[in-house]
Amino acid sequence: MPKNRAHVRLLIVAGVAFLWIMAVFGRLTYLQLFRHSEYLARAQRQQQRTIEITPKRGAIYDRNMRPLAMSIPVDSAFAVPSEMADETLAAQLISGVLNIPRDVLETRLESSRSFVWIARKLPPEKAEALAALNLKGIYFQKENQRFYPKRDLAAHVLGFVDLDEKGLGGIEYQLDEQIRSKSEKIIVMADAHQRWFDGSEAVRDRGVNVVLTLDEKIQYIAERELQVAMGKTRAAAGSVVVMNPTTGEILALANWPKFNPNAAKEAPAEARMNRAVSALYEPGSTFKLITLAAAFDQNITRADEVFDCENGAVYVAGHRIRDHKPFGMLKVADILAQSSDVGAIKIALRLGAPKFYDYIRAFGFGSLTGVDMPGETKGIVRRLENWSQISIGSISMGQEVGVTPIQLITAVSAIANGGLLYRPHVIAGLKRGETVLPLEGSIGSTEPKRVVRPETAATLRRLMEGVVLNGTGKLARLDGWTAAGKTGSAQKIDPATGRYSRTQLIASFTGFAPISNPTVTILVSLDSPVGEHEGGQVAAPVFKRVAEQVLAYLDVPRDVPLVNPRMLRASYRRDAMTDSASLEDFSPTDFSSQADQLPEALHESKPRETPPAVTVAVDEGGDIGVPDFSGMTMRDVTERSLRLGLDPVLVGSGLAMNQTPRAEARVRRGAKITVQFGTPVAKKKAPHKGTWK
Amino acid sequence: MTRKKKKAAQTEFHTVKRIDNTRLVRHVEPVKLRNLYRTAALGCVVAAFFMLYIYQHFHCIDLSFQLEDLRARQVQAAALNSELRLEIASLRNPRRIDAIAHRQLGLTQPLPAQMQEFNDLSGAEEAAVRFVRQNRTP
Repeated sequence: MPKNRAHVRLLIVAGVAFLWIMAVFGRLTYLQLFRHSEYLARAQRQQQRTIEITPKRGAIYDRNMRPLAMSIPVDSAFAVPSEMADETLAAQLISGVLNIPRDVLETRLESSRSFVWIARKLPPEKAEALAALNLKGIYFQKENQRFYPKRDLAAHVLGFVDLDEKGLGGIEYQLDEQIRSKSEKIIVMADAHQRWFDGSEAVRDRGVNVVLTLDEKIQYIAERELQVAMGKTRAAAGSVVVMNPTTGEILALANWPKFNPNAAKEAPAEARMNRAVSALYEPGSTFKLITLAAAFDQNITRADEVFDCENGAVYVAGHRIRDHKPFGMLKVADILAQSSDVGAIKIALRLGAPKFYDYIRAFGFGSLTGVDMPGETKGIVRRLENWSQISIGSISMGQEVGVTPIQLITAVSAIANGGLLYRPHVIAGLKRGETVLPLEGSIGSTEPKRVVRPETAATLRRLMEGVVLNGTGKLARLDGWTAAGKTGSAQKIDPATGRYSRTQLIASFTGFAPISNPTVTILVSLDSPVGEHEGGQVAAPVFKRVAEQVLAYLDVPRDVPLVNPRMLRASYRRDAMTDSASLEDFSPTDFSSQADQLPEALHESKPRETPPAVTVAVDEGGDIGVPDFSGMTMRDVTERSLRLGLDPVLVGSGLAMNQTPRAEARVRRGAKITVQFGTPVAKKKAPHKGTWK
Repeated sequence: MTRKKKKAAQTEFHTVKRIDNTRLVRHVEPVKLRNLYRTAALGCVVAAFFMLYIYQHFHCIDLSFQLEDLRARQVQAAALNSELRLEIASLRNPRRIDAIAHRQLGLTQPLPAQMQEFNDLSGAEEAAVRFVRQNRTP
C-alpha cells in the first residue's frame, strides 16, 4: 500500500510538471507561430532606424584636378521645443550666440513642438559656441555645404547653389542632376541605448565630379588682367575669354563685374550674369574677318588686290558711310590692317548678300554655339529676306548684327586652326569616384564643321598678323611670339536717342598666338571705356599681357627673338594698380569675406586724360664675371664662389665638368652658379700586343 | 465491570540477519552502458552546439557595435579629410599667392627678357633643371 501511495504521488507530480511544460510549450508555439509577424514588426519598430543620408554634391575641378567647388559636412542646429525647459531663456541665449533676433527665434520655437530649425549650416565657431551652451532640446545634424575655395575665381563658369545645394547658375545649374546624388535612406539596428549595431551597407549613388577645361592659373591671369584693365579704363563691364583653337576647350572665361559664389545672394544680378555667353554686342571691325574670310573662300578677291577707299566715305543705297580715317588706295591686307570700313563694304558688295549671309551663319552667328553653360544667347542676325539695302554695308563692318563673345572667339578660332569650327566647351569630363563617365547628349563631343578652306584660313592668319605688326593692333604685339588679331571699336546705341553713340563704345580685340601653330585664342572686350576707347588702345594691351603670360605658362616655344633686354618698359610695375584686397581676406575658413574691389586707380578724384607716365627700367646686367671652374675640386669652387659673392650650387661629385652660367658671363652679387661635377674619362691606353706567358 | 487485563510484556526478539552480498556480482550490461555514454555525448554535443550558437550570436552583435563605431569614425575622418582638402585648396588660391608674393615677399613679375629659355640643354643646365625639380615642393 505505501508503495502505491508513493507511486501515485509521483504520478501526480509528473502530471503537474507535464501540464506546466505543455502550457509553456503551447504558449511558445502560439507566440512563435501564430503571433510571429506581429512581434517581429514590434521588434523592428523598436530596433530599426531609418536614416536619411544627405546627398553630397560632386566636386568641380579644373583640368589639372585642382578643386574649384566642393561640399563638406557642417552642423545645422535644430530644436525639439517639447524637450526645452524654458524656451524664452533658450531663445535669449541662442540669440546672443548666433545673432538671430530673439523674437524670430521665439516664433520658430512656438511653431512646432517636435522639430524646428534654429540655424542651418553654421560656421564651425558658431556651432561650437551653441554647443557650449549645453541647452536641453538643442541638437545638431550634419548637412553638406558648398564651398568655393578660390572665392571668385571662375565664378561665372562655376555658378552657385542655394541653401539646399540646388544649382542656380553656371555648371552647378547645367549639371545639377548629375552633380547632386540622390537622397538615400539606410536602415540601421539600434539597441536600447540608441547605439547602432547593424547598419545596412546601402549602394551609394555618389554625385558626379566634374572636370572642367579651365586652367586655374590661366583663369587667374585672365581675371587679373581684366581687373587691371577695368581699373585703368573704368569701363562698365568686360570679358576675357581664352580658348584652345584646336579643340574648342575654354581655358579661361573672365567677366567683370564678378561675384563671390560663397555669398552669391548678396551679389547683384548684373554681377552674376555670364557676359561671355549672354551679353550681346555689335562686334564692329572684328567682323571684317568674316567678310574677308567669305571673300577669300569664294575667290572673289586676293590679299594684294587694291581697292579704292574713296578717301573715307562711300554711298550705299543712298546712305553715306564714313570711314574712321580717310584712306585712298589700299590693298586688301591693308584694309584689314587699317580697319577700313569703306574697303570692307566694297568687298562685301562684291561678295553679295546671299553668300555673305551663308558664311555668317556658317561661322555660327545667329545660332547657339552649344557651349555647355546656361544662359547662352544666339545673337542677332537678321534673316536674308529682312536685310535692307544698306544691311550688307553695315554688317560687313560689324554693325546691325549682335554677337556674343563666345561666338566671336569660336569663329576666330576657326581661322586660327585652319577652317574648322569647334563647339566651345568647358566640361572636360565627368567622374564618379574613379570611374570616368561618358559625355552624352548636349555635353557630348561633336565633330567640327569646316567653314572655310585651309588656304583661306592661312591667308587670313597672315593678314591678321599684319594688323598686329603694322595696323591698328600694334599694342598687341608680343615679346617673343608671333601674334595675329583684329581690333574692334563698335559704337553702342544710345537708348536716349536711338542712334549710335559717339562716346559709348565696345572696345575689343580678338587674336591668337603663335601664328604658325596657334595655341591660344584670346578675346578681350571692354564695354564703354572712359578716356581712350579704341580697341587697339585699350583691349590690345590686355591681349598682349594675357597672351605673354599664358604662353610662358604653357611653355610654348618662342618663335621671335626677344627685344633688347637692356631698355624695357616697366609696364609690369603697377603698384598703383595692385589688388587692394587685404591678406586677411584670404583666410581659409571664411570664404565670403573677400571684397571684390577694383584697384586704387578707380578711386582717383579726377579722371585721367593721359596715360600714366611710363617708368623705364634699365637692366644694367651683372658686375661680377663668372670664372671658369673646369677641373676644380668642390672645395675650390666653393671658396672661389664665396669670395666673389656668388652662391654655388654643387651637383655630383669629383671635378667640375660643366657650369651655368658659362665662364665670363656677367652676373650680380648673390647670383646662383650651378656646377656639375663628375669623374673625367681616362685616356684609353693602346692594347698590349705581346702574348701573356 | 470487568477490568482489562494487563497485557503481558511481550518479548521482542531482535534477529540479526547477517547478509553477505559479497558473493553477488553486479552484472554490467555493456549495451546499456554504451547507450548511456552515447546519449551523454550526444547531449554534450547538442549543448555545445547551442552554446556555440549563442556565443556567435552575441559575438556578432558585439562586432556589429564595433563596426558601427568604426564606420562613425571613418565618417568623421572623411569629414576632417574634406575640411583639410578645402583648406589646402583655399591656401592655394592663386590670388592669395599673388598677393603674398607682391606684398609680403616684394616680388615682381619677371619681364619677358628675364625669362631665359633652354632649347638644347647642356649637361650643367640639365643638371640644374633636374636639381630644381627634385627640390620643388609639390
